[in-house]
Amino acid sequence: MSHDSHHAPVACKTELAPERSDLGLYRPDRATGWTDWLTTVDHKKIGIMYGAFAMMYFLIGGVEALAIRTQLARPDNDFVTARMYNQLFTMHGTTMIFLGVMPLSAAFFNFLVPLQVGARDVAFPRLNAFSLWTFVFGAFVLNASWLFEFGHLAGWFDSFAWHKALVYTDFAPANGWFSYAPLSGTFGANGQALRFTGVGTDFWIIGIQILGVASLAASFNFICTIINMRAKGMTMMRLPVFTWMTLVTSVLIILAFPAITVALIELMFDRAFGANFFNPSAGGQPVLWQHLFWIFGHPEVYILVLPAMGIVSEVLPTFTGKSLFGYPIIVFSGAVIGFLGFAVWSHHMFTTGLGPVPTAAFSLLTMAIAVPTGVKIFNWLGTIWGGRIRFTPPMVLALGFIWMFMCGGFSGVMHSSAPADSQQQDSYFVIAHFHYVLLGGVLLGLMAGLYFWFPKIFGRMPNAPVAYLGSALVILGFNLAFGPMHYLGLAGQPRRTHTYHAGNGWETWNFVATIGAYVLGIGVVIVFGNLVWTAFRGKKCGNDPWDGRTLEWSLPSPVPEYNFAQAPVVASRDAYFEHKHGAKKIGAENDGGEAGVHMPSQSWMPMLASAGFLFIGFGMPMMAMGIPHAGWLVITGLGVLFLGIWLWALEGPGGYMLKTPAPSGAPAPAETVAH
Amino acid sequence: MSSSHEAAPSKAFLAEEVRRYHHFIVLALWLAVVTGAEIVLIYLPLPTAVIFTILTLMSAGKFFAVILWFMHLIYDKRLLFWCFLAGLVLAFATYAAVLCLFSVERIDTRWFS
Amino acid sequence: MSDHAAAHEAPTSTGIDHKKLIMWLFLASDCMFFGTLISTHLLYRKLFPAGFTDAEGHQRFIQDLFSIELTSFSTFILLMSSFLMALAVSAMHKGQLKSFRRNVLGVIIFGLIFLGCQVFEFTHFYHKGLTIQNSVLGSTFYVLTGTHGTHVAIGVLWLILLYFYSFTGKLGGHMGALDVEVAGLYWHFVDIVWIIIFTAVYLVEYLGPYGIWGSGLPAVVK
Repeated sequence: MSHDSHHAPVACKTELAPERSDLGLYRPDRATGWTDWLTTVDHKKIGIMYGAFAMMYFLIGGVEALAIRTQLARPDNDFVTARMYNQLFTMHGTTMIFLGVMPLSAAFFNFLVPLQVGARDVAFPRLNAFSLWTFVFGAFVLNASWLFEFGHLAGWFDSFAWHKALVYTDFAPANGWFSYAPLSGTFGANGQALRFTGVGTDFWIIGIQILGVASLAASFNFICTIINMRAKGMTMMRLPVFTWMTLVTSVLIILAFPAITVALIELMFDRAFGANFFNPSAGGQPVLWQHLFWIFGHPEVYILVLPAMGIVSEVLPTFTGKSLFGYPIIVFSGAVIGFLGFAVWSHHMFTTGLGPVPTAAFSLLTMAIAVPTGVKIFNWLGTIWGGRIRFTPPMVLALGFIWMFMCGGFSGVMHSSAPADSQQQDSYFVIAHFHYVLLGGVLLGLMAGLYFWFPKIFGRMPNAPVAYLGSALVILGFNLAFGPMHYLGLAGQPRRTHTYHAGNGWETWNFVATIGAYVLGIGVVIVFGNLVWTAFRGKKCGNDPWDGRTLEWSLPSPVPEYNFAQAPVVASRDAYFEHKHGAKKIGAENDGGEAGVHMPSQSWMPMLASAGFLFIGFGMPMMAMGIPHAGWLVITGLGVLFLGIWLWALEGPGGYMLKTPAPSGAPAPAETVAH
Repeated sequence: MSSSHEAAPSKAFLAEEVRRYHHFIVLALWLAVVTGAEIVLIYLPLPTAVIFTILTLMSAGKFFAVILWFMHLIYDKRLLFWCFLAGLVLAFATYAAVLCLFSVERIDTRWFS
Repeated sequence: MSDHAAAHEAPTSTGIDHKKLIMWLFLASDCMFFGTLISTHLLYRKLFPAGFTDAEGHQRFIQDLFSIELTSFSTFILLMSSFLMALAVSAMHKGQLKSFRRNVLGVIIFGLIFLGCQVFEFTHFYHKGLTIQNSVLGSTFYVLTGTHGTHVAIGVLWLILLYFYSFTGKLGGHMGALDVEVAGLYWHFVDIVWIIIFTAVYLVEYLGPYGIWGSGLPAVVK
């Protein structure tokens, strides 16, 4: 490496001499402040940014949810129009799934995976930055549809010719989070491409496509990191369960996202170029969209829930003082869930008329997938059983996860029975089910993770009483909001309907659900507000406040940028816990110290490449609006994307050496290679 | 990224590369021959099912020949093969199921044909 | 897209280079990608074996359009480009930069010929009346083969950049060979996708009077 010679090891990167990349540009290695955050390739900073954006979008999605619940608080309400209601529930679902839960999971992946496997960074640090910025720009494109919508409502566009020519004017997506064709597609023969919906759908198509790129790039990176960058002695069966679940989730993402990528391309061709993939007037099969969507969509459900399961599998052992009950079974169950997750997509489509044999097959497989999930729950219960439980905020949230997720699981198994499902399809019962899974399950799990690892991330301890209050309000409000929906669904209230008449017997429980939603909202604000306050003002805490079990707790809080001063050598599962309380299980390789640790150079290029998606993301919907010359935006975007990748390849890998505290000289434990 | 300080490839390594080189040439010839045979095959007066089966086997053969030799899977670590096979098998199984789920009997296609 | 950890040649847990691993993972993912596209085409062939109606309102069959000579030629070209790519990778392993350049130039030219054939095929089909808009057949055919063509074009662009990069003297050693090998993996994958498309999209249409899907044709049309 020709560049390493430029750098003697330094204690802090601001002491580096200015250095030019192969392109002759100065590398932003010495940057501080904003530039540092924009060009960083440090997985910890990237993780923090993922988390911050995810929490912001959680709040945006929450406001949308509260608007929905306000509208439904009483019969024949007119708080929002039907048109606005469609946009609200579509953006609520899309935001929560793609901009809330997935990035928050990605925040944990980023921050924790390298620390848990004992690595100094991910396999491809710049690709990691690219994933982050692509997510940020994709999320912005998706939400920019609201800006156009508000512009439209305010009448800013009224004088333009293109605006007068629009037939449908919903600028924010309005087809539901799965955008079923033909509603999202076209009709009419010979490429007329007449539409049922406005350009909101085009925003949705390109937004999800960009977010897919971000997820795919990140997942390739994490699989590489987990498989290839484990510390010495960190065998696959010694990996923390969270890392295992990250691996399974990433595999699901790389195998499930291509289906939606192609489906989106096909839908885009239908809408933009008059193709006939889902056009019923020309023989296109709208049900194909459902198949392709759910081939992606069902694994997506596990993509959402497996990281939370991984978090809970870390939190429970820590606060019971016991090792995880049945580690291999938990890992294996997670993998089986991932595998079976690809074989059950049609249970979302029982009412489309699959025929008796496929219906029976998908019904059986869906029941089968409940088994590994149940196995995990019993393993968690086994972990708690007989443990010395400490009811810290993360533990409370994790216990809430088990309880609420089980409720969601029970109503899920009910859906696996096709005859029952055809009664429940598109009713509030389904809403109740998946909110118990996604909110009672995933969100509680993620919140547990936030409270668990915040002391590690910022070196500050969240305020416990406030955390208990927030958690209690979240769990109470959540049950108040979604418990009654079971009843409402079975009583026949259809989902995605902007209002209902009085006299159906739905009034009381809808009102209760709305109150619950507001309590939940207040709870979430308290929980998140507490965290934000902690990040800046919280009480400082030690490196290992919870008596943690995995490698990340052996590091200082906040974690230094090189992670491990000496690369660790590991001799058991839960190595750090064993190390503290029994035989020494963690050693160190003789590196670092004055010789320095090799650090990757920071770069503008990942962000530049991602910026291409911003142009494409605005160009495609603006083309659909009929704005003149919008096509050039798309072409510019492709050019910027190419330019970013090209300069990225040419700037050279760079890198510099950072001094670390002197080697402790801890020898590697003897049993490293055993097992 | 200069190679100045890197050791020259060893003799054994070069011998292995030469051996692979010959494999590649033989394989390229086979690929050409099989492709030619496929084109002849579709004109032979054999039952459709027979030709279809042979065509499937031939293209699967070409497919695996390329991934094993040209893409070095036969020389590389086994893990890479399993990684790729996971995607391949999953794609094949999923879309075989999708194709079966769409049957002409259940969809009225008369309007469009 | 070289990278620090790989460039630093830190030994990996599995002994596989990061770049090679990530490329294989990408290819596994791409299997699902092309699986979706190919099965979309096949299932519409299964539902609508009759083909399409052209602008004059005539019933046309896909067999009227296909030219087995052209397709065989481009298939052969792509297979041979794959062979040259294997030789280019082999040359890089041996550190023979000149041989690498010769072979990779061959791959680029063959790739461009393939793309030329595809452009010719598309215009030819278009003039015979098949458009992306007048039938599902047009939509699936153009989008499937067009997406494959886009993959080829990206591959050609990548190889052209590598070709010129090799003159800077920075392409060499283990990392240089790895960069070329990863590009080669991509190129071979594009080739094997075409092997499948050649059989599943083109050849089977020649079986029987109306192709393998023709048995589903309503008697009226036959």
